[in-house]
Amino acid sequence: MDFPFVKEAISQLFSKPSCAMYPAVESIAAPRYRGRIAFDPTKCINCGMCERVCCGGAITHTVEKTEEGDKITRSFDLGCCTFCAHCMDFCSTKAIQLTQDYHMIATKEEDLIVSGTFIKKPPVKKAVPPKPAAPAAAAAAPVGAAGPGGPQAEAPAPAAAPKPREDGKPVQDPNKCVYCTICAKKCPAGALTVDRAAKTWTLDEDACVACGTCAGVCPKKAIIM
Amino acid sequence: MFKKLIEESTGKSPWLFHINAGSCNGCDIELVSVLTPRYDAERLGFKLAGSPRHADIVVVTGPITAQSLPRVLRSIEQVPEPRCIVTMGSCPQSGNVFRGSYSICGPLSKYVHVDVDVAGCTPKPEAVIDGLALATKILQEKRRAMK
Repeated sequence: MDFPFVKEAISQLFSKPSCAMYPAVESIAAPRYRGRIAFDPTKCINCGMCERVCCGGAITHTVEKTEEGDKITRSFDLGCCTFCAHCMDFCSTKAIQLTQDYHMIATKEEDLIVSGTFIKKPPVKKAVPPKPAAPAAAAAAPVGAAGPGGPQAEAPAPAAAPKPREDGKPVQDPNKCVYCTICAKKCPAGALTVDRAAKTWTLDEDACVACGTCAGVCPKKAIIM
Repeated sequence: MFKKLIEESTGKSPWLFHINAGSCNGCDIELVSVLTPRYDAERLGFKLAGSPRHADIVVVTGPITAQSLPRVLRSIEQVPEPRCIVTMGSCPQSGNVFRGSYSICGPLSKYVHVDVDVAGCTPKPEAVIDGLALATKILQEKRRAMK
């Protein structure tokens, strides 16, 4: 008689098990695995983009007024997170990172909350002339005459491109700006108001967090940071 | 002597009962992958039970839909004490992306005491094994406290 599988069967008896021996052998997640969120509060500028893009509504923040400025605590509820990494992708300062750590076991719900606190100083008021000439001139011109009159009215006032501001907030270059309103739509803090008909570009200095999103999305590169 | 043997061996083979409360099937597949040969939780004693009356640990996945809520609670009531309830994934803990929907009655902690939360969407099988190991410890403590 012939037993063709006996050799194979006996060799399997002495071989190692083929399963992942997890608790005995530590397993490392894949390089770009999206696990526990690591938040660096020193980098956060409180633009609020992460909260806007979070589909699970896992990100919240609280504001506490102190003498030094607003004390902002931003917390990420991992029990409500889908780990889609939208917050990481949209964070303009790379303050949010999803790490390879997958050990997210808790017996209390508070254990699953990652949070960070930082102090945001109030904006320093400076007597910078915020490019009043061109938008005012354009706004003053009648709408009907904006086609031929606009470029002529704007041309002499901003001869050179405006210089970047010291406080890091955006400046508009009226020569390049086409008033497409993309910057106003993308501004996470809602600090920009662009009127297409009147050709005005206004910045709410208090609301602006100098995140740079407007400069990034501008198709004409008309915003200087 | 037999009592001691029974006490030790029950702690080493907790049986699972899996409840799908409206899950997207992601967590269900990961739980199956924990029990099948790749991660093989059965070598650690975990075994999937077919009936809640045979189970020690209840694993709940999904955001507790209105349709599933009475069935979930009835199934959990049938699990004999001491029992340990494990939520798997973000959904039973908070509702996740389904939160605020008219058909979602979660989170599960509103209705029963949840012992272990395994976060992740979905959790890695290793994390599930960790969560089940923690649940086994809690189960042993509960069993001792009942005596």
